[in-house]
Amino acid sequence: MPITILPPSAPIATAHLKHEDSDEDMSDDDGLPIQSATSIVTPGETVTSDPQWMRGHGTYVPAETTTIISTVAGHLHKTNKLLSVQPLRARYQPEIGDLVVGRIVSVQTKKWTVDIAAPMLASLPLSAINLPGGILRRRTAVDELNIRTFFSEGDLLVAEVQSLHGDNTASLHTRSLKYGKLRNGLFTSLSGAGGGILSRRGGVVRSKRQTFTLQTSAGEIDVVLGVNGYIFVSAHNKSKQDEKDVSITSLEQGVSETLYSSQNDEIEPGVAREITRVSTLVKGLVACGRRVDEDMIVRVYEGAVDLDAEEKVMGSADRAGGAKGVVEAVLGRLEMGG
Amino acid sequence: MAPNQPQQVTLSPAELSFLRSTLVQSPPIRFDHTKGPKDFRSMRAEYDVLPGANGSARIALEDGTEALVGVKAEVEKSQRRPSPDARGNTLSVAAGDAEMRDTDAENHGKGKGQNSWIETSVEIPGFRDDDPLPVFLASMLTESLLASGELKDRLYINSRFHWKLYIDILLLSPPLSYPLALLSMTTHLALLTSRLPALKSEKDEDPLFDDDWDAAVFLYPKNEGKSLFGAAEDKPPVIVLAMAVGPNIIFDPCMEELAVADAVLAVACANATSSSTRARIVSIRTIDPPSHLTPPGVPNSMNSATGGTVPASSADALTQRELLATSGVWTPPRGGMKRALISQVVKIVVEEGGVAEEVISALQAIELG
Repeated sequence: MPITILPPSAPIATAHLKHEDSDEDMSDDDGLPIQSATSIVTPGETVTSDPQWMRGHGTYVPAETTTIISTVAGHLHKTNKLLSVQPLRARYQPEIGDLVVGRIVSVQTKKWTVDIAAPMLASLPLSAINLPGGILRRRTAVDELNIRTFFSEGDLLVAEVQSLHGDNTASLHTRSLKYGKLRNGLFTSLSGAGGGILSRRGGVVRSKRQTFTLQTSAGEIDVVLGVNGYIFVSAHNKSKQDEKDVSITSLEQGVSETLYSSQNDEIEPGVAREITRVSTLVKGLVACGRRVDEDMIVRVYEGAVDLDAEEKVMGSADRAGGAKGVVEAVLGRLEMGG
Repeated sequence: MAPNQPQQVTLSPAELSFLRSTLVQSPPIRFDHTKGPKDFRSMRAEYDVLPGANGSARIALEDGTEALVGVKAEVEKSQRRPSPDARGNTLSVAAGDAEMRDTDAENHGKGKGQNSWIETSVEIPGFRDDDPLPVFLASMLTESLLASGELKDRLYINSRFHWKLYIDILLLSPPLSYPLALLSMTTHLALLTSRLPALKSEKDEDPLFDDDWDAAVFLYPKNEGKSLFGAAEDKPPVIVLAMAVGPNIIFDPCMEELAVADAVLAVACANATSSSTRARIVSIRTIDPPSHLTPPGVPNSMNSATGGTVPASSADALTQRELLATSGVWTPPRGGMKRALISQVVKIVVEEGGVAEEVISALQAIELG
């Protein structure tokens, strides 16, 4: 069926609202007007005027009062005596050491500005990238003239947050073989999910491994989960694998010739199909309000492949709802099976 | 040719190249893996959302694009002008004149509608009223509404008065993909559910209307079951977007897919009132795809950062690009749409059980259900 038109419904995903926090103290919740998990507070709304509560994230206490006022629109959370408001939508707050996926917005003489879904654009100085061939030297005027050969507007890159400035703008670096320009794949953004503190909602969570390789029937696929909610799914780079353990002293062997290439390798149709499948499933996960991490992606991917194969055998491939429908079906089966 | 999207598509050359390579495969792999080439993005729709309007509708796509349309009708004095009938009276022979009167009684207002009786305005957040995108969208939507000529004839009350229809189209979100199809579907739904007060006066009297809203008549009358002549009931036209990538045709492209389109076609179709096919085409326009503005990828052989040599002059660079054999480098598409592809699009749209029929019946089903 080419077109599906549904009646209007409440747009909220209910999955992330069922939170069971062990540190939540339910005994003394007197004086709190808003307690239901489905209700939200809006900016400027008085949460409570009882002095027993402490203010947490997303709240504000005006001078010489004890009234706690919400500063964001979101759900109210309390941890013992601490009140915080978890925003419905938030931008990513960069922290040092985060692995992020970014897109070049503009090129300046000595640096690039990069969109990393943070409130402000990040900067990537020319001195914070690897030169092709891994040569270690001062950046000269020639490099400044050739700045667009490394990255130009629109290019995607994976980088690490090196430092934060006073106004919370981030400075990035790509001085590792894991980082650099992204190609051979598909970009997906989970905008508005934020990172870090919003881990309970759909979005990318800070974890031990932000990049992983997925085994598929067609071949291996690399997935880069940027903490900022930008995700890149690409064909596995074989040359990277061989030169995995190179130290900083022998960078020149490690930094391959194709580090700054904007040309795709030959990708087999099967691999390309699996890349789009993973990318679609990630979007479905977010639509369902689930967290996006390695474990979840692997499980949902395998479930979706099984489901697809079964439907092909049964001959009934009619499923409404697109990506969300598939992910819901897979999650339903996973929960049934344990 | 309609204008391209004003906002520059910011996808990297490598992404564009990947997207294109998946879309040209057969069968094409779409950006949303679960969708086939003819599948539309799922949407949520409702009608009669605005209490003060004669008809209104709201449609939200799954990617968050949302449109709201209100139809407002006003009675307006017609400009006095010599009608073809009146001129015929003086010039033609009496026999032909009598025949004309007979048909006139049956087809009330046939051929008397004027284009100026329908006014469409499109508002898109972040755009001025006179920006090219809203202006072109409005004119394309008006064009499709006027093309069949039936709507404007329905606005005829008598020789002195007519209805003036104001169609206000509001896009509630920034235009992620080319919003023409969404706006057209919302307009379709709003017009389909629009009602005009029932007329109580007769002939050339000053119009007097029934103040009971329950007695109002639909702008597009619904005849229960089959009508007398076996003709299907008339419906407003709807525009579908089709894009070509290599040999493939893809309907309802999303933003990422539009960025690699060879050509984009806006096909306005209405259901056929009397013909062998179920749908007919009212108008076709090509839309300049945003892919024409994308920067080309730099091949490894021309990139000094990847061990290549930068060509000495721009002419040299052009020659090298033309000789390029590798497929992994993004090159913006050139030229328009092949004739064979256009006829293929038309066929897919109008054929029995084709896209036009599906879309029109799906929009009809909202009203029934």
